[in-house]
Amino acid sequence: MDEKRFNRRSLLKQMGLAGAGLTASGLAGATYKVRKATAAENRSIPKTPLKVAVVSFLSGPASGPFGIPGNNSFKICAEEINKQGGIAGRKIEMKSYDEAGGTDSQVKLARKLIMDDKVDIILGYISSADCKAILPLSDELGGLIFAYDCGTHVLMEKEKSPYDVPKYGLGFRTAAHLAIDNIALARYIQKHYPDVKKVAGINQDYAWGRDSWMIFERAIKKLLPHVEVVKTLWPQIYTKDYTAHISSLLSSGAEIVHSSMWGGDTVTFTKQAIGMGLFKKARMAMSRGEPYPQEVGEDFPENQIICCAGTHYFLYPPQDKWPLNKKFVADYHKAYGKYPPYPAYHAYQAIYAYKHAVEKAVSLVGGWPTKKEIAMAASGLSFETPSGILTIGKDHNAREDVLVGETKKVKSFDFPILEPENSSIFPAHEVNTPVGLRTVDWIDSWEA
Amino acid sequence: MDVKSAIRSPKAFVYLAVFVLLLPLANFLSPYQVMLLEAGITLGISALGFNLLLRYTGLLSFGHGALFAVGAYTVGMMYKYFPALYSIEILIPASIIVSMIVAGIFGYICVRHTFIFFAIITMAVSMVIFTLLLKFYHFTGGSDGIHIELPTMLGTSYTGIKRFEFLSGPYYYFLICIFAVCVIVMQGIVNSPFGKTLQSIRDNEVRAEMVGIRVKRYRWYAFLVSGIFTGLGGALYSFINGHVTPELAEWIFSGEIVFMTLLGGFMIFEGPIIGAILFTYLQLYLTSWTEYWQFAMGVILILLVLLLPQGISGGVADLYRKLKKSKTREIS
Amino acid sequence: MEYVLIYILNGLYFTSFVFLTSLGLNIILGVMGILNLAHGALYAIGAFVAAWLIGSMFAGMSVLLILAGGLVAAIGIAGACGLLMEISFIRPMYNRTLEYQLLITFGAMLAVEGLIKMIWGGQSYYASAPFVSMGSIEIVGSVYPVYFIFAMVLSFATGFGLWLLLSKTRLGIMLRAISMDREMAQAMGIRIKWFNTLAFALGAGLAGLAGALIIPTTPATLGIGMDPLIRAFIVVVIGGLGSLRGALLGSLIVGETRSFGVAYFPEIELPLLFLVAVVILVVKPEGLFGSK
Repeated sequence: MDEKRFNRRSLLKQMGLAGAGLTASGLAGATYKVRKATAAENRSIPKTPLKVAVVSFLSGPASGPFGIPGNNSFKICAEEINKQGGIAGRKIEMKSYDEAGGTDSQVKLARKLIMDDKVDIILGYISSADCKAILPLSDELGGLIFAYDCGTHVLMEKEKSPYDVPKYGLGFRTAAHLAIDNIALARYIQKHYPDVKKVAGINQDYAWGRDSWMIFERAIKKLLPHVEVVKTLWPQIYTKDYTAHISSLLSSGAEIVHSSMWGGDTVTFTKQAIGMGLFKKARMAMSRGEPYPQEVGEDFPENQIICCAGTHYFLYPPQDKWPLNKKFVADYHKAYGKYPPYPAYHAYQAIYAYKHAVEKAVSLVGGWPTKKEIAMAASGLSFETPSGILTIGKDHNAREDVLVGETKKVKSFDFPILEPENSSIFPAHEVNTPVGLRTVDWIDSWEA
Repeated sequence: MDVKSAIRSPKAFVYLAVFVLLLPLANFLSPYQVMLLEAGITLGISALGFNLLLRYTGLLSFGHGALFAVGAYTVGMMYKYFPALYSIEILIPASIIVSMIVAGIFGYICVRHTFIFFAIITMAVSMVIFTLLLKFYHFTGGSDGIHIELPTMLGTSYTGIKRFEFLSGPYYYFLICIFAVCVIVMQGIVNSPFGKTLQSIRDNEVRAEMVGIRVKRYRWYAFLVSGIFTGLGGALYSFINGHVTPELAEWIFSGEIVFMTLLGGFMIFEGPIIGAILFTYLQLYLTSWTEYWQFAMGVILILLVLLLPQGISGGVADLYRKLKKSKTREIS
Repeated sequence: MEYVLIYILNGLYFTSFVFLTSLGLNIILGVMGILNLAHGALYAIGAFVAAWLIGSMFAGMSVLLILAGGLVAAIGIAGACGLLMEISFIRPMYNRTLEYQLLITFGAMLAVEGLIKMIWGGQSYYASAPFVSMGSIEIVGSVYPVYFIFAMVLSFATGFGLWLLLSKTRLGIMLRAISMDREMAQAMGIRIKWFNTLAFALGAGLAGLAGALIIPTTPATLGIGMDPLIRAFIVVVIGGLGSLRGALLGSLIVGETRSFGVAYFPEIELPLLFLVAVVILVVKPEGLFGSK
């Protein structure tokens, strides 16, 4: 089929560019390559190990909060899978790569992984910019790519709703996008603080922060129309000094301050805000605040609204009721001395999504499946994870429930926690965009 | 040098030979290698433009990354706002015009300075362009950048074709031809009276001023031409990478342009091109070979400056000269 | 309106860091005529050394003592790195052209950043004990952390000390003589070689101090020195190359523009800064206190 694209017309045009003889040889080469790619596959299950490439931040500011926990979790999961006999009998041979170095070099690396190293799958990407640049490569180069952590809600969306899914045949995101946290925050505020009048926002000045605030603002205005937005601040990412921002928030009189900040920025901001007395006057609502009470420690203020990027929390689902979470938390804590933050759960979801999809495809085709068949098996897949049951929609985007709670100091931990019994769970259908709709259109369609 | 003798010179034969060798290369290399080579060639076009300032005008710019980004973003913006005009015959002139305009303003601020002042000012202005690309989120896509679709070429649409097939097929030949044109045009420029004027300004600014050359004006022209080449390189690069981000305008990338030019050897006309291609391979293989590629890159750079100041091409030329000398000595 | 005073104070706090960073850059530029792109990497070394010492050795010791130890160690180690850099590969650059000088410091930046990654790994280091234990006080009607005031005082005092050094001591007069006319200074018998080394180490130590001083308020991460470097460039550009007064005024402009920019024009805070810089450059191309 692809051979038809290189028809005589384009041939003649190429001739005009580069001379007849040379182009003819170019054409022959190109068609040859295409033919090779569509040659019939061997269906028997190979003895060789599966080549799995993991790409996440191993250096730079995003490595501590996301990349390294994610990479750790990938390692634990791969070991566990190999211990139990691998995926459909094939062991996993995992190699980690650093996501640092910019989108440009990530595109080059992904190309190398797919075309030169011929890996079976790439699991990875934290930065939304990287996801946006690399998921199109899945279909362009014919490589299976599962994005595991990046949050941008537009990744799998098209220009106009309703749209047909999926956007990328071989590209997936095995976690829900940033909209769930921000919609859940708005719903939580509606439920527990319906009388709030003034809200403000402080978000990092790049796509992640802009998108997070945009979704939150839309949702809260729909749910609580009387709320007034008194200030929106856009600190540069990796800002070291938030004094100007904190003073500005204090002067605005906001009661609730929305923030989607992450990593060292959140820690820096929180500490400086404690020092300048912000928490005495306002309450933070952090869309991805889950890792930070543990990072900051006992200084982290109480009664702050925190969201868990889904239901990823080491205390939820309660370990006595959901053994999978108990085992995962225990394994992770034993290996790395910390409770797994949400990126670790996201890594679990990505690698197990691949495992379940391959096994489903193997049982369906009765042999080793092609990448396309694995993708078809992954679409609509549903399986158990430490955080509950994860479903991957037909748009190749996962859907999750959300846990929102408030920090509280307890005796058994040296940092404030969210008590599951005092938190709110928002079921997936209340916070996840339906398949085939754009998130903004979906929120706009809500009845007030 | 007039046209006739230029064609007859041995250099022209070498160029022709390289051109003829490059053309069928797409069939022998894997598509992946072709894409790498193409990235190197587009960077080479940019470095050629950069070197017009460094080698022939004596100005070291530390902000050419921004001009590269301008060329690349022009392509992205055209797709976003004028999808009907998204064909390569329009995109290339458009990016040339836009880079010329931006280089005009950029250069106007900068050419009043020389030496280290020029380097710092170009860096500052390039950071302005960087923050604008980053800040005007709704217009430029912010830090996420813009995805670059495959353009139509000579009326043929390539939608549905995989990018690597486009790149290792029709686009390769197109790029090689543009590359050849760029090299010939730049050769012409540096050998023209204009090029000689620039070199006389570089060698002695006061004397040039004395004989009636309007120094700043000429520097500004050089900046314009340089910006056009760099922007054109950026536009051509965008199709290969498929995605542009503001990082291209950051000063680190500007530094890399200086790096590749000196790696190849900036005293020789073709040096920057060799350097750009080598740099592309070096960077890729270092990043996939070791986690500490940054360290390796830094050490290579320091060693290069200390031990091989004339770059690869200069080093080879030196070696050749020495060999020749020792040979003649043997005979005598 | 009641917040204007606190905005000014915030601006001064930001100024103090930009000032400290640009001081070192400016000295190296003034004395040796070299733009040190590795300045941000030296800043990062200071930050990591301080974070590592304060974070891991804090147990049971007095906060001020450990803070002082961390700062001194940061200055010492960053200064020593500067010394080594100067002797090993900056020195052969003095009679080379500009592109080599810039490129070698660019290479040094990459190498040092890589070295930090090798030594401390990729993760972030937290060391906020001094910041937390100093607490906050009430000032102009707002709660304000004591550490911020400490940092401001220390950094302006360093600037003042440097001014004393340069204008009142024999050593300083020699350094200034070199920055005015290298050949003449050499002819007068000043041993330029050692003064270069000294100036470079001094600049590097100042970068290390700036990096260490910010550590109690924020974790040390890879690439921590990039943003301060850019801001210091802007200071040098608008203040004039190699001028101490210019560095102070430039830092004030950068700091206060940021503070009021965040408060009143949060959307365009960063472009505002560059806009101010470009306007100054167009009006006065040599910078506020620069000489051509």
